[in-house]
Amino acid sequence: MNGDPPQRLVTWALATFHATLFVVASVLFAYTRGGLGSLLANLNTLVGLGLFAALWATTFLTTQRALEGIDVLGTMDDRAFVRRVFRWGAANGMAFLAVLAVVFLVGSLAAIPAGSGPGFLLFAAFAAPFALVVSAAVGGAVGAVLGVIDLGLVRLARRLSAENN
Amino acid sequence: MDVHLLHLAVRWLHVLAMAVALGGAALVFVLAAQLAASYEWVFWLAAGTLAMTGIGNLGAFGAGLPSPQTGWGTTLVVKLSVVVLLVMLSLPRTLAVARLAFAAPSHVADVLRTLYAFTSATFALVVAIAIWLAHG
Repeated sequence: MNGDPPQRLVTWALATFHATLFVVASVLFAYTRGGLGSLLANLNTLVGLGLFAALWATTFLTTQRALEGIDVLGTMDDRAFVRRVFRWGAANGMAFLAVLAVVFLVGSLAAIPAGSGPGFLLFAAFAAPFALVVSAAVGGAVGAVLGVIDLGLVRLARRLSAENN
Repeated sequence: MDVHLLHLAVRWLHVLAMAVALGGAALVFVLAAQLAASYEWVFWLAAGTLAMTGIGNLGAFGAGLPSPQTGWGTTLVVKLSVVVLLVMLSLPRTLAVARLAFAAPSHVADVLRTLYAFTSATFALVVAIAIWLAHG
């Protein structure tokens, strides 16, 4: 991991904060709307754990890139920060989609009868560009929302540390 | 792999992560503010692990997950809401620690005692709700 000790801790905390808040808030939203049970019924426990670990890893890598050259603990340009998290949020969305696609393709290829693979693969190849655009848009939007939340919490942290420094 | 063994392992990992997060916050509050920066690394590892295994625990219910209109469901909504609050208020604590621990280590104890007390109390509340969900 690059950077000095405070920067490494900030990167680790922000990445885990983003992944955890996104997943817990999504679960809460889905549960209160009654859609979680059916989703869980189709999700193997090991696959669920693996997908969270994959999201955590892609979020860490993209957060690391997003924070390059940004001093979160010091002074930073708020607009540049939100632009950066929007861009790397989009990259995170695409990276996570790639992981999902590998899991889905491997699972589907193992399940379909021999000889019917090429049609399925052609469909996947056709759908991939559209899915990438959607995942980038969703990732960018989530990144921008989390970036705005980050800014508020960074300001709170500065006040907390300034009052006692 | 034996599904029951997997669910048991996920539960134990969940409990272990909670013990580390709650026990660590209480330890920093009571004994050693100098450990705050180290604890923050462990806290986020525990938070991610708790989220991951928490979803795994819910996954064990599958389609049998009680509806949010039941008493159990309402309690789960309260628990998840408290977790969201805890995670959101933990980021400023970590950033404040990162700012002070490396720039002015002598001031860490002053600023963080209240924050670690809050973290410990909120984790204790989440544990109490979790016990009720498991046995209530």
